[in-house]
Amino acid sequence: MARTEEYQLNVGPVHPSTHGVLRFVLTMDGETIKDTEMVLGQLHRGIEKIAESRSYLQFIPYTDRLDYISGMTNNYGFTKAVEDLAGITVPKKAEYLRVFVMELNRIVNHLVCIGSLLLDLGAATMIIYGFRERHKVLDLFESLCGARMTFNYIRPGGVRGDIPEGFIDNAKEFLRDMPKRIGDYAQLINDNEIVHMRMKGVGMLSPEDAINYGVTGPMLRGSGVSYDIRKDDPYSVYEELDFKACTRPECDTYARYIVRMDEMYESLYIAEQALKRRWHPTLQG
Amino acid sequence: MDSVDKDKVTVIDATKIDTSKYKREVKREDDAASQLKSTGLLNTLVYAKDRAEKRDQNVILALVDQVVNWGRLCSIWPVTSGLACCAIEMMSMSMGHYDIARFGSEVFRATPRQSDLLFVAGTVSKRMAPRLKRLYEQMPEPKWVIAVGSCAISGGPFVDSYAVLTGVDKIIPVDIYVPGCPPRPEAWLYSMIQLRKLIKEEGVGITWGLDK
Amino acid sequence: MIFENIYEIIAFILNSAGILQYMQSYSDALGISIAPKLIIILIETALLLVGVALMVMALTWMERKVLAHAQARLGPMITWYHGLLQPVIDGVKLLSKEDLMPKRADRWIYFIAPMIAFVPALLVFIPIPFGRDGAIISDLPMGILYVMAVSAISPIGILIGGWASDNKYSLLGALRAVAQDISYEIPMVLTVIGIVLITGSLSLQDIVLFQDKIWFVFLQPLGFIIFLVAAVAEMARIPFDLHESESEFVAGFFTEYSGMKFAFFFLAEYAHLFSIAAIMTTLYFGGWHGPMIPMIPPIITSIGWFTLKVLVIIFFTMWLRATVPRVRVDQILDIGWKVMIPLALFNVFITGLLVAGGVL
Repeated sequence: MARTEEYQLNVGPVHPSTHGVLRFVLTMDGETIKDTEMVLGQLHRGIEKIAESRSYLQFIPYTDRLDYISGMTNNYGFTKAVEDLAGITVPKKAEYLRVFVMELNRIVNHLVCIGSLLLDLGAATMIIYGFRERHKVLDLFESLCGARMTFNYIRPGGVRGDIPEGFIDNAKEFLRDMPKRIGDYAQLINDNEIVHMRMKGVGMLSPEDAINYGVTGPMLRGSGVSYDIRKDDPYSVYEELDFKACTRPECDTYARYIVRMDEMYESLYIAEQALKRRWHPTLQG
Repeated sequence: MDSVDKDKVTVIDATKIDTSKYKREVKREDDAASQLKSTGLLNTLVYAKDRAEKRDQNVILALVDQVVNWGRLCSIWPVTSGLACCAIEMMSMSMGHYDIARFGSEVFRATPRQSDLLFVAGTVSKRMAPRLKRLYEQMPEPKWVIAVGSCAISGGPFVDSYAVLTGVDKIIPVDIYVPGCPPRPEAWLYSMIQLRKLIKEEGVGITWGLDK
Repeated sequence: MIFENIYEIIAFILNSAGILQYMQSYSDALGISIAPKLIIILIETALLLVGVALMVMALTWMERKVLAHAQARLGPMITWYHGLLQPVIDGVKLLSKEDLMPKRADRWIYFIAPMIAFVPALLVFIPIPFGRDGAIISDLPMGILYVMAVSAISPIGILIGGWASDNKYSLLGALRAVAQDISYEIPMVLTVIGIVLITGSLSLQDIVLFQDKIWFVFLQPLGFIIFLVAAVAEMARIPFDLHESESEFVAGFFTEYSGMKFAFFFLAEYAHLFSIAAIMTTLYFGGWHGPMIPMIPPIITSIGWFTLKVLVIIFFTMWLRATVPRVRVDQILDIGWKVMIPLALFNVFITGLLVAGGVL
């Protein structure tokens, strides 16, 4: 009579698929994971405590380092809170520019996400293509604020400075090229049989669970809940812009991946509108 | 200038000033030398110089050194370990635009047993520090460490945080420091070139433990 | 002159240089008349080792370059022309690396595992005809059986290497790798039966000679597809690379290996890749057959054709690696046992019917 027993497997904090420093202790039965215990805190930097001893302006650079792939969005979150506290009205011009950079940053974020997803599945090519386009966006950001990742660009009351020379041409070129690139990725991934085998029906998150756990963003919309804070509780100038919240009902990893792909198109569309309105001759203030 | 009374202006000839009394008194040389001797650094330096000279005289050993160092400097395999923000720039360094593969270093080994180089890329929290030290100790000799970003060098913007180690060189020896927050990929590539120079100068005996 | 195998070629060269007679008389005088034979065999072995080592080096270079260019990169550039010396440099570095032994490792098994994995990958080349007119080490009458049997040894090296490392990742990686190797060996052997039914011979030389007019890839299309999938699995290339599966088990069964022992596993992996591509060429792509070029000795042309076909197959697997993700372990075993084996049996059945009916 064969005897089986469960065993513990430690994953991380330095492991190729943790992408950073995250540690799991898995309880395994053969190849099946029975239980996961998460051990957190390897990247605890005490940012809240630091914030206590900084002025509002001094703290903006720290927000870049919270989620270091989408620094612009973090900047905005903090800045918005400060503006609401102080009752500052931001000129429309600046709001459009903010929306433009935030949507580009969303594209960067999704590119890195999809690339890492495919890297974990074993296909190393996608992340390199994703980083190629990411580099173009970072070039744009660098011409705006001088940094590639830690921008410190969105400030209370507006942005750090207006656009430099030649920015609009570069931005338009990017907006023109990017849909074709996303089509390339879709061609590489979407109809791949092995991708379907690995991602369909994996990581199921039912709509009820998603809401109860407080999941937001593409994860929530991949579970079939059509909730986008840009649409349902609009901030900045999102209510003037035309876009749709991308939703998929399948609740699995593949659905979340498709939501991200669709959102990149939407972000491009939003960015294009923002760029157009920012330099519209009738725009006042 | 015409309004100035010429009689009252004393013209100073700079060449005729006696500068000897302004000279700072220099400490005697043997003082510095004796200080060095007391630290033991001088002996080590003299010994290293001796050995390098001997090695250069020995044609075969010099040749072995050259070949082995050449092998080591052209195939530096980093370990896949990113701590924070800088890890993203580490990834972008190995991607198409900057392509660390040109130097033969695109083989990011996931296991420390097969890697030569540890990039300390990002903030080292106090919780992570023992694990990082362990990772370093798991790597086989010869191994090198590059501390990247101001966090890994000195704590950077988190220097007054209660949870962050101020400088990774407090726990493991570091060969190259790359400042920046995060450093641009060009700076990373420059650090790789500096590391190659470092390895080129290195005698094989040092890392084989023959000098002990 | 027509030669049987490489032994005769070496003997002929030594003979025409006048060395062989000298050696023969000298060893006769000493009373060890077998010595010249042994020396020739040693030369043969050295040729095989050097040939395989050179090929493996070329393959690692090719892999890095193909992958890099598929990913819009350049790959190794600074070591000589387009990084051609990169494999040599990696070898020098791995030689001079510290050789770690985990504290609680099973010492002897840990030490011997890389060799058990590497030697079979070399032995496989013995009955493979590299070219016409005797460019074969030994034309075994049971060649294909020998090849399958010998290549089934290397999973043992993998398994004991994973066991001896005293690491859970290594053990799990080894178990996965062995499960995959065993479940794809069976469809592979079953497809070969189809070919053997048609040729009526187990000798690889006969199989190649049979493909003078038409390659087996056209006679056995279903068998070829099954063999291709099984071969990719046996090579442990990316849709089926459970051997390494980097994002799950760090580095698979050689997680704890460092320095030269790791290099041996690495060499074994690429030698295995080369050997399976060579077997595939022999079985399905007409081996060394190809248009002969005048003025060049046919033996060299045929070896050239053989190498070209092998490289095309290997390029295909590298292309796969740049394109598709990895299949999960249960899915791999599902495909192996539930799809591949029934299909392979069906192929044997159809081929048997056709051969019995006199069509083939």
